[in-house]
Amino acid sequence: MSDKIFDVDHVTLRFGGVVSLNDVTLHQERGEILAVIGPNGAGKTSLFNSLTGVYQPQEGTITFQGRDAKPMSVIGKKPHRVSTAGVARTFQASRMFSALTAFENIKIGAESHRGIGVIGAMLRGPATRRDERTSDERTVELLDFVGLRAKGNVISSSLSYGDRRRLEIARGLATSPQVLLLDEPAAGTNPSEKLELTTLIRKVRDEMGVSILLIEHDMKLVMSLAERLYVLNFGSVIAQGTPEEIRANDKVIEAYLGSTATETGDRS
Amino acid sequence: MKRIFANVHVKRLFSAFAALAVLELMTGPPGSALSPTAGFTGSFREAASFFGLFRTQRWVVFFFLALVIFAVWSTWLTWGERVRGVAVKALSVPRAATHTRPGRWGIYVALLALALLLPHLITDPFWQAAMVEQISVYVLLALGLNVVVGFAGLLDLGFVAFYAIGAYTTAWVTGALPTAAPFGIHFNNFYAIPIAIALAMGAGIILGAPTLRLRGDYLAIVTLGFGEIITIFANNLYGITGGSQGTNTIPHFSLHVGPIKYLWGLTPVPYYYLTIVFVILFLIGFKLLEHSRVGRAWTAIREDEVAAESVGINPLKYKVMAFAIGASTAGFAGVVTASQSNTIFPSSFTLQFSINILVLVIFGGMGSITGVVLGAIVIQTGSMYLLHTPPSGYQPQDLYIYLGALLVVMMIFRPAGLVPSRRRHREIGLAEKGEGHMNEVLTGDTP
Repeated sequence: MSDKIFDVDHVTLRFGGVVSLNDVTLHQERGEILAVIGPNGAGKTSLFNSLTGVYQPQEGTITFQGRDAKPMSVIGKKPHRVSTAGVARTFQASRMFSALTAFENIKIGAESHRGIGVIGAMLRGPATRRDERTSDERTVELLDFVGLRAKGNVISSSLSYGDRRRLEIARGLATSPQVLLLDEPAAGTNPSEKLELTTLIRKVRDEMGVSILLIEHDMKLVMSLAERLYVLNFGSVIAQGTPEEIRANDKVIEAYLGSTATETGDRS
Repeated sequence: MKRIFANVHVKRLFSAFAALAVLELMTGPPGSALSPTAGFTGSFREAASFFGLFRTQRWVVFFFLALVIFAVWSTWLTWGERVRGVAVKALSVPRAATHTRPGRWGIYVALLALALLLPHLITDPFWQAAMVEQISVYVLLALGLNVVVGFAGLLDLGFVAFYAIGAYTTAWVTGALPTAAPFGIHFNNFYAIPIAIALAMGAGIILGAPTLRLRGDYLAIVTLGFGEIITIFANNLYGITGGSQGTNTIPHFSLHVGPIKYLWGLTPVPYYYLTIVFVILFLIGFKLLEHSRVGRAWTAIREDEVAAESVGINPLKYKVMAFAIGASTAGFAGVVTASQSNTIFPSSFTLQFSINILVLVIFGGMGSITGVVLGAIVIQTGSMYLLHTPPSGYQPQDLYIYLGALLVVMMIFRPAGLVPSRRRHREIGLAEKGEGHMNEVLTGDTP
C-alpha cells in the first residue's frame, strides 16, 4: 500500500468565472521529490495556495497525511493550522520578515508552534527561558544546515537573492514540517547558486526526511532533482511521469512550445 | 515660475516665509462674529516688538524671523553634516557605555532616582498635580496604545473607550454610581484594579475578535465607532452612569492592612509614587514582552502577514491579544484617574482624547518604548506649560493647532518618531561587540 502524504482529488478552484484549477487529481508519496511544472498561468501557484490553506477550492478534496497522525482535510483550514500540521512553504517572490535578521527570521519559525504565553513572556520565568534556549539552538542548527551561519546577524533584506532563498527554506524547516513546498526556488539565482540549491534541496530530503514538492521553471534543475513530475496547463493536469517520460510527452511539448511545434515534430 | 523655484535658495526662502506666515496666523488673535477678518488682519497688524526693543507690527517681526530661519537652515544644510559628524564622534564614548550591562543599569538607576526625587525638586502644586494627572497617567496610556499601534501595527482610534470602562468600573465597584455596587459592597479602590483590567480586556476581546479580521482602515473606523458608543452610553444611561453629570463621590485609594492605615489623596505626591510604581511595572512587562516570542510574532505579522501565517502564526489570535493588552492598560489608567480626581463625567471621554494618546505614540516613535515614554512626557509637559503660563493670546483650545503642526513637522523630518524603534539596530550592534544574545548562542556560552 502506498503512503501518500498529499492526496489531491478532483479539485476545482474558481475565481468568479475564471477557472484556476480544473478537476486536478494528483498525489505525493512520502519522502518523494515531486515537481509540478507548466507554463505561466497554468495554476501552479494556485495549487500551492490551495495546498496550504490560502485558497479554498470549491470542489474536490485535499488530504494531508502526517506521520502518526489522522489524515487532515486541508480545504477549510486556515494557513497557520496547515503549517502546524506539518506543511511548510516558500514563496515565489521570497517573503522574508525583512527588517529582522536571518537569525530572528528562523527563530520565529522555530517557536511559532508553541503556545502564546503572554504571562510567561512578561514574567520571563525558567520555562520561558528554557524555551528560548531550545529555539536558539534549533535556529543555529538550521543556519548551519543551509550554510548561513556566518550571516545570522545580517538583516534579511540585505541578503543576496540566493541566500534569501536558503533562509526561506530554513525558516520553513524550523517549523519541523513533513513536507516542504518550494515555489520557484531557483528564480533569480545564478548558475552556481542554482547548483548549491539543488544540493541543499536533496539534503533536506535525505537528511531530514522531509518530502519536497516543487514548482520550477528551470527545466535543468527540475529534471535533475525531481523523481516524478506533473504537468499543468490551463489549470488541468495534462501529463505525469518520470523526467524521461515527460521529456518525451507530445502534449507537454505542445503546451510549452505551441501547437505548430508539435505539428512539425509529427512530420519529421 | 517653475524655473524660479528650481533654485534651491529661492525655494528655501519661500518655504521659510510660507511656514512663518502659517505660524503668524496660528499665534494671532481670534476673529469674532462682528468682524470675521479680525483674526486674519490682526495676525499681521497687531503691535509686537523684538524682545521689547523695537515697537512695530507683527508682520515685520515674522518677516525677520523668516529670514533668520532661512539663514539657519541654509547654514545647517551646508555645515550640518560636519556638525553632526563631530557630535556623533563626541557621543560615541558615552553611547558605547550605555550598551554595556553596567552602563545600562546605571542609567536605569539614575532615571529611577530622578523619578523618585522629582516631587521634592518640583514643589509647585500645579506641577505636582500635573505630574500625576497629565503626565504619569498619559505615559501609562501611551505605553498601552503602543502595544496595539506600535507592536502589532493596528490603528486604534477608540482607545478612550477602554479608559472610560476602567474609570466607570472604579466608580461602580466603589459604589459611586447610581447603580448598586456589586453584591452591595463598597469595595476599596484596589479591588477595582483587577476588575477594571478584566472588564476592559473583555471589552477588547469582544470588540477585537470579530473586527481584527478587517484590514487597517476598516479597523480604525470600527474602533472609532466603539469609542463613540461608550461615550454615548455613559452620557445617556442616566440610571446607571449618572448621565452627563457623572459622579463626584469616588473615594481615594486607601490601605487598611492590620495596623497599617493609609489614605492617598491629600496631596498629589502619594499618588505620584503609586502611579510611578505601576508605570515601572508596565514598563518592565512590556519591555520583556517586546523581546519575547510574542513580540517577535507581532513583528512578523506587521512585516508580512501571509508569511507569518505560513510559519504557523495565527494572526487573529496575536492581534486580539495585543488589543486586549492595550485595552487592559487603558482600563487600569482609568482606575488611577477616577480615584485620583474623584470625579468622572462623559464629556472627558471624547475622540479628541484617543487622538491625543495616538499623537503621543506617533510623536515618540511607534514601537519604541523609550520613545513613547519620552514622547508622552515631552508633549504633556509642553501642553501643561502652555496651560500654566500661557503666552499672550494663547487659549487652551489652541493646543491642538500646535500639536497638529508638530505632527506635520515630525512626519517631514523624523517620520519614525522622536526615538525610533531601534531594537534591530541595537541587537546587531551588540552582537558585533560580542554582547548580544545571538553571539552567546553562536559561541555556545549561554548564561
